[in-house]
Amino acid sequence: MTWELFAVFIGSSVRLAVPLFLAGTGELVSERAGVLNMSIEGMMLTGAFGAAVGAWATGNPAIGLLIGVVAVAPVALLQAVLSNTLRANQIVTGIGINILILGATTLAYREIFGARSREQIPGLAKWSPPLLGDIPVFGEAVFQQVWLFYAGIAIIVLTALVLRYTALGIAIHAAGAEPRAVDKSGVSVTGIRYLGVMFAGFMSALAGAFLSIGDIHTFTEGMTRGAGYLAIAAVIFGKWTLTGTVLACLLFGAATALQFQLPTLGVNIPNAFLIMLPYVLALLAVGGLAGRQTAPRALGEPYIRR
Amino acid sequence: MTDVALSGYRRIREWVRPSVVISISAVVVAGLLGLVLIFAINVSVPDALSAFIDGTVGSPYAIAASINRSIAFALVGIGFVIANRANLINVGGEGQIAVGGIAATAVALYGGVAGLPAGLPFIIPLVAAMVAGVIWGSIAGVLKIKVGTNEVISTLLLSFIAVWLVYWCVQSPALLRKPMTSSATLPESLEIPDPTKLPLLTGDYSFPLNTGLPVTVVIAIVAGLLLARSLFGVQLRAVGFNPIAASRAGISYQRMVMFALAIAGALGGLAGGIMLLGDQYVLKDGFSSGYGFDGLVAGLLARGSVVGVIAAALLFGFLRSGGINMEMVAGVPTALVMVIQGLIVVTLAGAAYFIRQRQ
Repeated sequence: MTWELFAVFIGSSVRLAVPLFLAGTGELVSERAGVLNMSIEGMMLTGAFGAAVGAWATGNPAIGLLIGVVAVAPVALLQAVLSNTLRANQIVTGIGINILILGATTLAYREIFGARSREQIPGLAKWSPPLLGDIPVFGEAVFQQVWLFYAGIAIIVLTALVLRYTALGIAIHAAGAEPRAVDKSGVSVTGIRYLGVMFAGFMSALAGAFLSIGDIHTFTEGMTRGAGYLAIAAVIFGKWTLTGTVLACLLFGAATALQFQLPTLGVNIPNAFLIMLPYVLALLAVGGLAGRQTAPRALGEPYIRR
Repeated sequence: MTDVALSGYRRIREWVRPSVVISISAVVVAGLLGLVLIFAINVSVPDALSAFIDGTVGSPYAIAASINRSIAFALVGIGFVIANRANLINVGGEGQIAVGGIAATAVALYGGVAGLPAGLPFIIPLVAAMVAGVIWGSIAGVLKIKVGTNEVISTLLLSFIAVWLVYWCVQSPALLRKPMTSSATLPESLEIPDPTKLPLLTGDYSFPLNTGLPVTVVIAIVAGLLLARSLFGVQLRAVGFNPIAASRAGISYQRMVMFALAIAGALGGLAGGIMLLGDQYVLKDGFSSGYGFDGLVAGLLARGSVVGVIAAALLFGFLRSGGINMEMVAGVPTALVMVIQGLIVVTLAGAAYFIRQRQ
């Protein structure tokens, strides 16, 4: 393998991992707060669709991104109300929302784009940081990314700092582990959990927008194709730590990138196996490669005040 | 009032529980919203409705096709309810259908069963489909009891893997792809031999109900009795309610989890086998096309009742048939049916809160 090919492989692994670790970070915060958010997939799809339509209608991808985020807000709010206020089964609601969104975006896509399907949509501008972008071979292949990539990394770093060093971070952690204690200390468990789900929605919107207007500049029906579920698997694989989650996403991204890289190297592995590979890895990951699992103790249990 | 009348009255009250009323209301409201959506996308509502009715009950063929669809939903749904009794959520119906379809096709085509007597040509592939489903369900079971992996995420990932396995099988001539005679050879299997196809109940192609129906009815009755009247049902419930207390009472949590997920897998696999041998005859990429997820939703809506599963499965079978006809005749995307289904699930999940408040 030449350096050029290796650089392209690293670049495409990172690009394929971006939507996963954006959504994974959101899911991590939500799960830390105690809400298992199965609707990541639907939220990503909403974000991808909103951003695509917004960018196409206004001609401005940044406004498209904003519309994507706004479009996800009601979906996230629905999930938050169902899983916190109405204390509905979080898995059932998540799957219901995913079915609803897949249908709704497909319907709306046909309505809006109709015969003009597969239309090119203006995408986000690329940017490469000084110095890093000047590295020979790797600079262009790896570091030249849409600005959302760098903004996303900044948000993830910020999230890590908040989770680690602030009272809010401690409260989020405690809401998933010892909700009763949080309540006794005078902080609203429900409030924290709403925040967690809304944050997951925000991050999923960015992830979806990255897919539609960052990476391929078009929307296709059901284009997330299970990425949301991979993000959830990444949280488990990462043992509910942010670093672990991001690393797991990079691994899944690399596994996905192989299906484009190996054929160019003349390696003869069935394409279907390579497409399957990230899911197989995710299964192995949640099935014990990660070791003993340490989910937040109150994960998935609605909190009832006494 | 006589005792008989009183018990009749009780039975009616029992049946008209708030949950039943809310379920029916949710379906009606979601249906009305569907009409609004049809209007919003500029399709004539009467045209769409008449296409829907033609596609569901408009002809004996439509009715039989709808019921055949319901069979797969019902089997997956019953499996879901059984596993759910042990507090397990099997989201893997889609994958279990997929591996069932692969196994049934492989055995029907290459298992040398076509010449056997007495129904064996289709019974053996169906058994193979169930075995494949058991294996797929048991993987999730083993992960659950050995490592504590949440079965929701494992069955979901197993579904993605299985769906791509189908793709692999029909793409590779070394597996199930039919011999490539030209570059235009489609990526699909050969058609299964006639003796391996499920016999039609009436022998009449204008009313193509297949043998899967009686099989499903028997399974539904057995499952209902198993859950309501057997020791096994009680043990499942005990494990679902409190694994520690159950194990003090001598019921092995591990064993019950394995049984529950294996049975759910078997029924999913059988659903895939019946779809293949009863209706599709050729293995194609994406043949499971969301049937597993619809079956899962049927199981969810039923709230633990086998009768409820049958009702929801029939609803979805007719809804899907009507939706397909609406797309073909009136130009309404089938995605509309997904919207309606999603709305039903979300509404019912949320409504559970109000049902709890009432009781």
